[in-house]
Order: sequence, then structure tokens, then C-alpha cells
Amino acid sequence: MAVAFAFTVEQMREAPAVARGDRFVALFDPNALIAAIARSGDRAAFAELFDHFAPRVKGLLMRGGASAELAEEIAQETLLSVWRKAALFDPAKASASTWIATIARNQRIDIARRETRSRLSQVYEILDEEAPERPDEMVAGAQREARVKAAMTELSADQYRVVELAFIEGFSHQDVAKRLAIPLGTVKSRLRLALSHLRGKLEDLR
Amino acid sequence: MSAAHRPSDETLAAFAAGSLDEGLALVVAAHVELDPESRRRVREFQAVQGLLLDAAEPVAMAGRPSVGGGRAVPVAFGAGAPPVEAGMPRVLSPYALGAWRPIGIRIAMRRLSVPGAQSRVFMLRAGPGIALPHHRHTGFEWTTILSGAYEHEYGRYAAGDFDEADAEHDHTPRVDPVEGCTCIVAMTGNVLFQGWLGRLLQPLVRL
Repeated sequence: MAVAFAFTVEQMREAPAVARGDRFVALFDPNALIAAIARSGDRAAFAELFDHFAPRVKGLLMRGGASAELAEEIAQETLLSVWRKAALFDPAKASASTWIATIARNQRIDIARRETRSRLSQVYEILDEEAPERPDEMVAGAQREARVKAAMTELSADQYRVVELAFIEGFSHQDVAKRLAIPLGTVKSRLRLALSHLRGKLEDLR
Repeated sequence: MSAAHRPSDETLAAFAAGSLDEGLALVVAAHVELDPESRRRVREFQAVQGLLLDAAEPVAMAGRPSVGGGRAVPVAFGAGAPPVEAGMPRVLSPYALGAWRPIGIRIAMRRLSVPGAQSRVFMLRAGPGIALPHHRHTGFEWTTILSGAYEHEYGRYAAGDFDEADAEHDHTPRVDPVEGCTCIVAMTGNVLFQGWLGRLLQPLVRL
């Protein structure tokens, strides 16, 4: 069990607002903030969203080996993109964190491959707007997030770390091997094992 | 449509993480567009990334941008993309497609211009019953079948299926005797063809 991760899951279980003493204290509610930006271009909502997510996008990228400058640029562009695309956010399809993570991925691709005129981020956007095949798929969006969360907490600390690094580090097995100081073959088999474990948990929870 | 052959979880995870070569990613994307099950898996891996973002250690930003006054202007996804040809996956729309060129009897190919790719990307159309030249790989050859089917030592691959061949594979695809086959292929490294058709194909595929 990954301790750091379990803590996050606990955080995620918090309701948007909880009673504290006699009054309600508003907690961070990204869906409401994104909705406010979409509705009225709410700059205060953007500031709150930025202050929460931009440092995390930056932190995640730097953990993956990006320089502070590059990570800063991608985080800035990601949140600007959130501002522009707020009206396209559909909470039934994915959580705010997942939506923002995919925007960050697309920004990373755009910036890293700027000189090659890559169009890959357009490919991801086309796939993301693809209509769901089954009518129940939209309902399944929130359930999927919960399932993935539950499955991730069931990975061993080792498995969690390999999955995490593989996603964060742009998935170069070589890099992951170097970072963990273990042989490449071990990384590959651990990754395969961790992903198949994750897959098994996900199917159990369906 | 549901596929019988899908990319491995490692490949779908790398696709979701955005770290595949652009040509390989495009062939995976064509499959994902056609197969709801792989689309579901990709969304699960994207949810993993959302969780990792939540768990990330925040690093202070140097500044916060000022956002324009007035309302946010939503950007319509794909609005600038040219319309895609009928029957082509929509994910191909950002790319320029070359004309079909015959490269043998009842075999034609067309190139895709994928500026960011290390791999070579092309479409192949083969008439019913054709045996493609026996070949082996020094790199990857990833294929998504767009229509029709082919069959080789590892099974039958029909529309929507994904064929993930690497250096260990050595195969002789036989095209469906009735439907023929159209597929999109991304290739890295070299492909070593054998036989007369292979020798014919070799310079044309610039391998």
C-alpha cells in the first residue's frame, strides 16, 4: 500500500463543503470553479484553480525530469488552456484532475515537439470528443474514476512506483530503470506485472 | 465494432501518457477510434494520470497569467482540422494523405505525412486473396486494419484489429479472399522482405 497515495484518496473523499462548528467552510471544488469560468469568465475562480493545479502540474513534470523553466511554461499553458476550454469540460466524462492531466499531456507534446510540427495533440483531442459508444458510458465516467482510484490503492508500493514513474517519465523504460537503479528487464517485467495487476483489479470492480 | 486483437496494456498506457512516437501513436489512435474497449482502457489510464496529478508534490509557480476580461472563449476541438475522406478514421484528419499508388498487382499504398514521427506511416490496400511478401522486422511494425481482413501465423485480423509486431515476428500475411484488406501501418527500423514481391516493394517503401 502506497502511503502517500492513500492520503490523497482520503483527501479526494472530502465533500465540497463540510460543516465546521456552526458555519460551512467552502472547500476546493474544481468542478464548480471550471463551471464558473465557463459561465461568466470568473477570474477569481481561475485564480483559485490555477493556484491549486499549476503547482501540481509543475511538480509532476519536474519529478519526471523536466527543468523548472519548461515545467513552469507547460503548467502556465495548461491552465490557460483550461481557461479557454472551460465550457468543454464535462464532469460526467472525467474528473477535473483527469481532464487537466490530459490537457497538460497535450501541452507537453505541443511544446516538446514544437520544432517537428507535431499534430499529435489534435489526434488526442479528436479521440476525446469521440461520442461514447454506449448510452451508459457517460454514467460510467465517475464510476471509472472511483474504480481506478480503488485499484491504484491496491497496488504494492513497488508496483505503484513503477506505474507512477512510467507515466511521469514519458514512459521510457530505460529512464525508469536508471531512476530506480534496477535492470531494464526488471522494469519491463515489473511494469507488465503492475499493469496486469491494475487491469485485474479494474475488471474485478466493473 | 469490437476488436479481437488489441494493443498490450503497456502500449495503451504509453499512448495515454503521450510518449509514443507520433507515427506509432497514430496507428494506435486509429484502432482506439474503432474499438470501444480500448477507448475505455485509455480513459482508465488517463484517470491514472489524473490521480498522479492529485498526488503530485506542488512546486511554487513563478507567476500567474492575467486572463482576458470578458467571457472565456471556448475553443471548438478539431474545428480547424480539414474534413477527412469518407471511410477514413477521423484521427487521420490532421495529416496530409498522399495519392494511392500501385506498387504491385492489386496492391496499392499511400503515404501519410507525419512530420513529428520517427517511424514511417503508410496505408496499404491489397486485393482479395493476395499473399503479402514473407517478411521479418528489425523494429516495430504496428498495423490497424481499416477494412477487410488478413490472416497470418498469429491469427485473423479484421477491421478495427491492431497488430503489434516487433523484431521477434516473422510472418506472411494472407489477405481475405473475399473482402481484401486496407490497413494503416507505422514502421520503425527495417523490414526484410523475401521473394520477388518483397524485392519489388523494398525500394518503394523506402526501407
